[in-house]
Amino acid sequence: MSPQTCWHCGEPTLATIPIHVEIAGESRTLCCHGCVAAAQWIQQLGLWDYYRLRTGPARKPSTSPDDDRRTNIAWSRPDANQHVVRKAGNGHSETMLLVEGVRCSACVWLIERVLGAVPGISSVQVNAASRRARIVWDDSRITLTQILDLLSRSGYRGLPLNSQSLDDSRRRESRDALKRLLVAAFGAMQAMMFASVLYLGAIDATDTSTRQLFRWLGFLAATPVVLYSARPFFAGAWRSLQARQPGMDVPVALAIAMIYAASLFEAVRGNGHVYFDSVSMFVLFLLAGRFLEMRARHRAGDLTDALARLTPPFADRLVRDGTVERVSVHELAVGDTVLVTEGSIVPADGLLLSAACRVDEALLTGESSPQARSRGDTVIAGSTLIDGPAQLRVLRIGNDTALAGIATLVSRAHAQRPQLAQLGERAASRFVIRVLALTALTIAFWNYVDPSRAFAAALAVLVVSCPCAFALAVPAAITRAISVLARHGVLIVKPDAIQSLAAATHVVFDKTGTLTDPHLSLSDVSTTSRVTRQSALQLSLAIARASRHPTARAIVAACGDLKCDPQDSASHVIALSGFGLRATVDGREVRLGRADFALGSAEVLPTDDCVVLADDAGTLATFKFSERLRTGAREAIAGLQAQGLQVAVASGDAIAKVASIAAAVGVTTWRGRLLPADKLAWISAMRAAGARVIVVGDGVNDAPVLAGADVGIAQAGGADIAQASSDVVLVGGRLEALPLARQIAQETLTILRQNQRWTMLYNFTAVPLAAAGMVHPWLAALGMSLSSVCVLLNALRIGRRSDRNPVVHAPPVTAGNLPQGCVV
Amino acid sequence: MCRLNILLIMIPLSALLIVGAAVAFFWAVDHDQFDDMDTPALLPLDDSPQNGSEMQ
Repeated sequence: MSPQTCWHCGEPTLATIPIHVEIAGESRTLCCHGCVAAAQWIQQLGLWDYYRLRTGPARKPSTSPDDDRRTNIAWSRPDANQHVVRKAGNGHSETMLLVEGVRCSACVWLIERVLGAVPGISSVQVNAASRRARIVWDDSRITLTQILDLLSRSGYRGLPLNSQSLDDSRRRESRDALKRLLVAAFGAMQAMMFASVLYLGAIDATDTSTRQLFRWLGFLAATPVVLYSARPFFAGAWRSLQARQPGMDVPVALAIAMIYAASLFEAVRGNGHVYFDSVSMFVLFLLAGRFLEMRARHRAGDLTDALARLTPPFADRLVRDGTVERVSVHELAVGDTVLVTEGSIVPADGLLLSAACRVDEALLTGESSPQARSRGDTVIAGSTLIDGPAQLRVLRIGNDTALAGIATLVSRAHAQRPQLAQLGERAASRFVIRVLALTALTIAFWNYVDPSRAFAAALAVLVVSCPCAFALAVPAAITRAISVLARHGVLIVKPDAIQSLAAATHVVFDKTGTLTDPHLSLSDVSTTSRVTRQSALQLSLAIARASRHPTARAIVAACGDLKCDPQDSASHVIALSGFGLRATVDGREVRLGRADFALGSAEVLPTDDCVVLADDAGTLATFKFSERLRTGAREAIAGLQAQGLQVAVASGDAIAKVASIAAAVGVTTWRGRLLPADKLAWISAMRAAGARVIVVGDGVNDAPVLAGADVGIAQAGGADIAQASSDVVLVGGRLEALPLARQIAQETLTILRQNQRWTMLYNFTAVPLAAAGMVHPWLAALGMSLSSVCVLLNALRIGRRSDRNPVVHAPPVTAGNLPQGCVV
Repeated sequence: MCRLNILLIMIPLSALLIVGAAVAFFWAVDHDQFDDMDTPALLPLDDSPQNGSEMQ
């Protein structure tokens, strides 16, 4: 086996025979016909530059193009179509697609070229960060199905999103914020410039008319800032007053209005200090803080929205005349007969009509080994059919299914969780109220001592203490932490997760799919005396690579790890669904599969995790499979324990399996056979005892716990509902990033506290001086800006330490150390 | 006094420039220029002719 990789998708060309195709004058090696078709199609369009521009390999095209095609056709059914397409007027339609396989800007380039050149498509906008494409087309010239087909041909997969995602309140919000920020920046610059003339006395100080001119110029520069840029604060204050729940906006709006009005009063009077520069900068800093927050929120929203808005999948319904039609799950009714193919997901709870099948319920229950079902048994929605095809009669649909029950549990758990986000807001609000009280005190004091100085001193207090640094401290630190963590493969979905992450005391891991690999792995090979271990593996590899069955793939993967070449003489490999594979090797028949099938006798009982290689003379070799520990699981747990966290394992799987995995990772607290509700109860009990709990999981059954924990961490490859109910998503299942993530979270909190302490210190020094009437306007403005800059620079220190020592990747745990086979 | 006279020209001029810049920026924001900061970076690098006729 040569270590060649596919030119198109970058996967090793091991699983199938490599294909050499002449493209763009050079011979390229490709792994499958899907890649060949995509590469030739891209070349034919003259878009070969895609391969030059891209920075990573392309998505592997679907292995079942016919199946994709039927799904694409099903999107044109009115029932599915109405949810995802919006009429844009004059015969045009508009939709938002989540495009699977967009990995870099070159993909965007390719998609825009491929679709943009098609007559009938009037607009294509692809965003690489959120993997979304907004497409507008002319109904009379092209259909949604044709557009999805074009994407499929290029190697991508378009998933239409609910048409609500077209209403981009988010885009409007970010445009508005940008404009307000720019006006504030321009206004503040100008106001500062005019004010410095007054401060520095560049103009002859005795020339009162010139001073007066610059006062009015400052007014001119600050007016758009206060009346336009600061409008969100006034609007927010008004709203919260109407709702009788004064928030942070009320004191901020009050301070802006007071400084502006007082300065205007001084300008009219033509005497005393004006603070137009300070009020503009105040607005600028506050807006900058809010802008950073908004960006973080939108990024997180892109991630969760796409998951929550994915419209339901399709099902293959058997029509009376024997044909199969693909309909959306909404259209299914109780009593319908649906056909589920091997490897696809069961669309609704149903009664099995076929003789027997096995289903994988790992995501739903945490059970790691496939479950056998026979005629008359119930199969639940959301489980994956391992060997099929199977026919089901629909028993329950929509909200009545077991899956929907879990979704309800998720929303209930969410509602019970305290919201930390508002705590910071409340602290800042309290601070501003105190400042206002202090201002009132200052006025009262000076009225008593020297009424002529009361106004100036009160104004100075207000300006000096205005919480610019306060407003910037939290968003700057959080934004920096989010970007540092993203670089390490940890996506923060909800920004307040950082605080909870740092404060956590307990970590609970799910087992199946989180600590262990969801794919089976070859754990043991035992051979008979007729073959060597090596030749048994070579023979099995030659047969197994024709199949995509999980056990066949485990054999192929193990052989790849062992650098084992396939024996070339195997031919005529035939897959018998549910039993195994049959092939001809050197003129004799060899079978690989369930024991009863491989040995050709019905008396042998098949076992779930055992595959037999046999010819007509009997057994050649027996393969055993087990789940294997994920890369980095042990390191992650050791790292978290070293940080003083209590680690536990909660799983829905069999007790013995949980025990062995817990022992392997060095965890003493574990529980098995837990239902989603049991897990939630356990976590709630921990939290009631004062623990702050991080939960790491990936399955549907973990979703309620993820939502109910202080921090829910989901794996990016896991179930959609688990990701949607989590606060943090781990990209590429990199568990070893967890200890680092917690470290960065703690660092962030330290910096946050430093920032707040610094702001306090500054205020405690400056406010009394201002109250005593000793602070000049220029000093007040300077102090305000400097304290804000200090806060920003301090925030940039987050993650510096971890950047210098990047994460060291542990070598992957492979099946390389297989025990030597014993003779059966 | 001549120093001040020049100010009377320069200040309106600077204000005019600022207003011009703000108008240009507003126009850019309204014409999708700031909606997607990641994607378009690579797009202008290559400008090969499109073979749209082969599409259908």
